[in-house]
Amino acid sequence: MCTKMEKYTLIITEKPDAAQRIASALNEKGKVERKENNGVPYYVAKRDKEIVVVPALGHLYTVAEERKGRNYYPVFNFRWVPRYAAERGANQIRTWIETISKLAKDADMFVDACDYDIEGSVIGYCILKYACGNKESVSKRMKYSTLTKEELEKSYAELRPHLDFALIEAGGTRHEVDWLYGVNLSRALTISARNWSGKYATLSTGRVQGPTLKFLVSREKSIRSFVPTPYWEIKAEVEINGSVFEAEYEKQKIEIKTEADTILNACKRKNGQVEKIDVKRFKQNPPVPFDLGTLQSEAYGFFGYTPRRTSFIAQRLYLEALISYPRTSSQKLPPEINYEAILNKLSKVPKYKKLAKELLSKPELKPIEGKKKDPAHPAIYPTGKLPERDLDDSEKKVLDLVVRRFMAVFSEPATKQSMKVCINVNEHHFYLRGRQTLKEGWLRFYRPYVRLEEVLLPPIEEGQTIKVKEVISEDKFTKPPPRYNPSSLLKKMEETEIGTKATRANIIQTLHDRKYVREERMVVTNLGFDVMEVLEKYCPPVVSIKLTSELEERMDKIQAKREKRENVLVDAVEILKPVVQELKEKEKIIGEQLSNAIKRARLEERIIGTCPVCGTGKLMILYSRKTGKRFIGCTNYFKGKCETSFPLPQKGSVRPLGRNCRGCGWPTVQVRIKGKRPWTLCFNPDCPLKKERRKRIEMRNMR
Amino acid sequence: MKCVICGREAGEKGYCELHAKAYESIDKKYDEWKKALEISWKEYLSEIVKNPLTGEWAKEVAEHLIKSGEKQGVTQG
Repeated sequence: MCTKMEKYTLIITEKPDAAQRIASALNEKGKVERKENNGVPYYVAKRDKEIVVVPALGHLYTVAEERKGRNYYPVFNFRWVPRYAAERGANQIRTWIETISKLAKDADMFVDACDYDIEGSVIGYCILKYACGNKESVSKRMKYSTLTKEELEKSYAELRPHLDFALIEAGGTRHEVDWLYGVNLSRALTISARNWSGKYATLSTGRVQGPTLKFLVSREKSIRSFVPTPYWEIKAEVEINGSVFEAEYEKQKIEIKTEADTILNACKRKNGQVEKIDVKRFKQNPPVPFDLGTLQSEAYGFFGYTPRRTSFIAQRLYLEALISYPRTSSQKLPPEINYEAILNKLSKVPKYKKLAKELLSKPELKPIEGKKKDPAHPAIYPTGKLPERDLDDSEKKVLDLVVRRFMAVFSEPATKQSMKVCINVNEHHFYLRGRQTLKEGWLRFYRPYVRLEEVLLPPIEEGQTIKVKEVISEDKFTKPPPRYNPSSLLKKMEETEIGTKATRANIIQTLHDRKYVREERMVVTNLGFDVMEVLEKYCPPVVSIKLTSELEERMDKIQAKREKRENVLVDAVEILKPVVQELKEKEKIIGEQLSNAIKRARLEERIIGTCPVCGTGKLMILYSRKTGKRFIGCTNYFKGKCETSFPLPQKGSVRPLGRNCRGCGWPTVQVRIKGKRPWTLCFNPDCPLKKERRKRIEMRNMR
Repeated sequence: MKCVICGREAGEKGYCELHAKAYESIDKKYDEWKKALEISWKEYLSEIVKNPLTGEWAKEVAEHLIKSGEKQGVTQG
């Protein structure tokens, strides 16, 4: 602990990296001292007065029931407690809180420097209230959007006189309401299933999780019940100046085969004539600055990163002071961030030099902005600072995306030209479309993150005769709606205003963890269907999207001081009480349904795929009654139809991969043994890949 | 009553809620197929069973309808 007895200023941050940066930025004399208490780091900076900067580890306090125990519901009485008292495996939090409490004793001034958003405000408030001994009312607040030295110094010099209590109340209420929903509904499901089967399995749902699963279930039902309908597309291959182009028929979908045949026959071996040429020039504006949602969506589109991964990467870049605070809803870049200074710094990086200088030479720097606002932070932008360490590939990619987007928003619109040529073939009209970029504008700044679809057409004149090489009719079928991926589901949650930018990505992960969905393009499992069936049947209000977004709106109103925490909590309990009562009354029947679903889900997890030998049974992971050893066998064995079986490694875990071997098409599993790299196992003894490998080894041994 | 396909709780038509939705879809889409290709109910069912775009439940219902030889609009009551 601090050896000097002089009083100091205690600054609390949300994460250790932020503590180090703030201490370094504020230090004016000598070197920042890094100290530790029971493994908890803190930093001592010296200015006119000593400053101690201590980090939290995210939330140190949480909502928990007043009465101990997890095996009961309903539960409506709660309090805020240290996380170690409510969560298993959170023992580290105890030493963390003890350290902050000790440091608070010798402090005469308190500053909350946690992230300036709803979660950060709750984190700082709880620490000041509970760990520092009711210092929340005297504490000052640092507000910053980047961890750069300049901004941190400015933020410390212009401390806000008190905490943002409206934001804290809104955040606290959100935690309390979510806890009430989560704990009551999840316990009702888990206890019902356990009481029926005698086996424990965690089932969960929540205020946002339920409606999110509902989106997925509704889409999955449409996909699985989907019946395609046939239609025909007619295209003409035309030759102009020696090049062949494809022109599409005036009616995009022809729903009757005989009609398609008639058109085909009418156009066969006929030449066409250019009837009309439409040329349109239009401007394409630069994209708007990144808020978290659009960054996540773009990173998914270009790099395949899930929203959660992008959020983690962006958070790391922020803690390295390379980009501004990423958990923002804003699509605005205020002039205070100093566009010129950032571009000047970027111009020192060789790959951005030319583009940054070009922007700097403009008479005025004015970004294009989107509609979305955030009262606490601007849109995501690069600080222009150079990385202090070697960034990994994913960090480099996301940083590059943020930098190029930032430059693009200051650039000019692109000018494009579209051309539509109408060709008359025996009184049937075909359209030939061209698209060309005349002036690149912002596209040059945002490259390679642009999707250019250029189709250049040769010079054509109205009245010109066109040689039709062939007219083809393609058999087509309507397609089912696409499955949600993490990015499109996040967008849907944003559109319907459920969850927050900080929680949405984690909720999607929870749906995977609970095995309600599987795979990246989310497929709802039978367990997911059964949980939703129970919720819709016995407690429809908790999966109501309308009700959830109404509750969100009211929580936002608390932040704007137009609603009171007490009212929202009372109403949330009023909604929950009859729902939980109904669940309690139907516990037996719900328990049976969920237990059967869990049983089926566990069975499903062991199915590897269709048996390649008999073609009708399923290959499954089975356990020998005699030896207890695991192996793979065909389900048709029990019907006396197929005796296919394969041995399995007895160590580690075995998981069906859900995809077939690229060499032979047989189903595969992944084997994971601690300390070794996971590997894919194909059971086919005659798999060509195995033969190739054997051959390679033999050749190597012969040398 | 149990669903003739998956064994879940079934409604009036002999299908669970999920397979009933698939049946409805099959029944509704036949008119479009008939208009497009002039095919019989039986031919239609075998076409949708073969089609990779057909949903899993719709395929199961179509297979069941082929096996049981049911005609359009007639379901197990």
